[in-house]
Amino acid sequence: MQELTIERDQPAQPHAGKTFVAVHAHLADLPRLAGGLCAKLMAEGYAGYLVRTTNDETSGGQSSAQNILSNETEHANMAKALGFKDVFEFYYLSHRMNEISPVELRGRLVLLFRMLRADTVLSFSPSAEGESDSDHWITGRAVEEACWTAGLANDFHEHLEAGIEPHAVRERYHFHARPGQPFNRVVDIGSYVGKKIDAMVECRSQGSGNAGSLLRAQLAAQGKRLPLLGDDDRTADRAYARQFLLEEFRAYANGHDFEYAERFQYVGPPADENRAVQDYVAKNARPFEAPKAP
Amino acid sequence: MRRRNFLAGAVALGNAPALAQATRQAGAGARHPSLPAKFTPCAYATTKTGYSPFTIPDYYTFANDLSVERNASGKPHTGKVLAAVQAHSDDIPLFAGGTVSKLIDEGYTGYLIRISNDEASGLTLGHGVAQNEVDNQNAAKQLGCKKAFSFYYRNHRMDDGAIIELRARLIFLFRALQVNTVIAMDPYNHYDENPDHIVAGKAVEAASWMAAGRDYPEHFKAGLRPASIREKYYFARSPQGHNLVNRIVDVSSYIDNKVRVNVANQGKGPAGSAGRRLRGYLQSQGKKLPLLGDDDETTDFQYVKRFLMEDFHLLGQQFGIEYAEAFRYIGPEPAYVERIQQAAVEQAVAL
Repeated sequence: MQELTIERDQPAQPHAGKTFVAVHAHLADLPRLAGGLCAKLMAEGYAGYLVRTTNDETSGGQSSAQNILSNETEHANMAKALGFKDVFEFYYLSHRMNEISPVELRGRLVLLFRMLRADTVLSFSPSAEGESDSDHWITGRAVEEACWTAGLANDFHEHLEAGIEPHAVRERYHFHARPGQPFNRVVDIGSYVGKKIDAMVECRSQGSGNAGSLLRAQLAAQGKRLPLLGDDDRTADRAYARQFLLEEFRAYANGHDFEYAERFQYVGPPADENRAVQDYVAKNARPFEAPKAP
Repeated sequence: MRRRNFLAGAVALGNAPALAQATRQAGAGARHPSLPAKFTPCAYATTKTGYSPFTIPDYYTFANDLSVERNASGKPHTGKVLAAVQAHSDDIPLFAGGTVSKLIDEGYTGYLIRISNDEASGLTLGHGVAQNEVDNQNAAKQLGCKKAFSFYYRNHRMDDGAIIELRARLIFLFRALQVNTVIAMDPYNHYDENPDHIVAGKAVEAASWMAAGRDYPEHFKAGLRPASIREKYYFARSPQGHNLVNRIVDVSSYIDNKVRVNVANQGKGPAGSAGRRLRGYLQSQGKKLPLLGDDDETTDFQYVKRFLMEDFHLLGQQFGIEYAEAFRYIGPEPAYVERIQQAAVEQAVAL
């Protein structure tokens, strides 16, 4: 049984000067699984960058081309709603990431982690139990590998030619994307649930961001209304998201002293491997005595 | 090691080739009596000494607009950047060492990029990798390159990897270095036995035009700019390979430097210190070959020049020059839009 940590709001900006990179596969992944955490980290000083690995051509209910366009547009809007500093799109074919070169994907992430000087990364779990979407675990696997190889000088050494130096990522938050996936950190996102909803309602091609307005229109056509959904589309979408899409985040928080929670498998900075040696030396070192002449 | 031993084996068999003795009878321009008169040859067998398999290909196919690139006075290429890309440490030295030396001397800033780790040559894999790494650096220095890069993909196994990943790395480097010209193995080199050559050629060809485009947009956020690669020199390997040739480069003024580049390749290829080994063999037989001289440096130089460069001399003679290298050259594309505008202006009539 892992020890569970509750990560709560921190006063001031303890993370000022730090950078995180959130890497997801599809438009709606990040806002649903970690939108609150992203908003929290940026409020506490982090600069945030967002990477989408697929083109989402399979989501949106239109032609593949129209899906790519609508998801691209909504991705930019969603990132803006959360406050990301910049967005990177890799546009691999959605649901077909099995066919790409894992090393090429890793190489691109290594470049991003190095050039952005990423301290922290958010993404899918590389082991991803119960994960049916291969794009998720391929993205998570590549992120995991890139986090440490970004710190190794001999990997993709040509980056140095452009002045981009090795830089290892020290903290990782793996999404709790499916039931059964492990988590050891619960983040209280109560203060940021509004931001999370802002991001979720931008995801209309997937993620049910416009489900409220669609339901409202459907009911109106039947001569009915749902007071929860209010009198305009925006209110309807936000209310729908809060009521129905955040249910699992509310349910987990039930019984705790917070209202909404996102869960993660958190991996912190690696232990200082030299500490044991340093401790031993500190305890046992003696002044050097030159050997006496015979 | 098979490469390294080819001449030693011949010597040990008492079959040392005599200088300037062409072993292939069908020289360029000659017509074989077995070819019926109604057929026009479309490939030309080269005249070769038989001293080394790694000189010029067995056949050339010449384009009707072939040109000879001669020495350019001054430094006409100042401000331009070339990337000489090779799968193995001996590819550029053997097949394009003269041209790379010439272009750098004429103003280019040069970079040498080796794709493989050359592990297939050496006493052990580790020794081979280490020796060839040093050789690649030394060859680059002798060529006049500013810097050498190695990607260290496994030797003879480059078709095992994803070419898109190699291409991505080349695009990054071409952009970072702002390359204008590439010298590489012809991606359409016929009958090449070595998979590394084909992979390297294909990756370079694709990376050359993609470096100018919008692929990998994250590069631009990292401060890189698109690279406009406007000139390509593609060479064929020997002996089996052959490609379309439309440019002969006169490397007569640079042949001695090409020799030194090849001598720098100690771990791979037919050159390195093969000269002193031959001298040692002859000494053990109570003999000496005067042209090899009396010291190791002279011996290695003379060996490479007199034996390994001789086929480039025979090729050059076909074009009235002393030493030549042959390429499929692809130059800058026309300014299409400007040409349409020019044609439109010239043909326009008053309203």
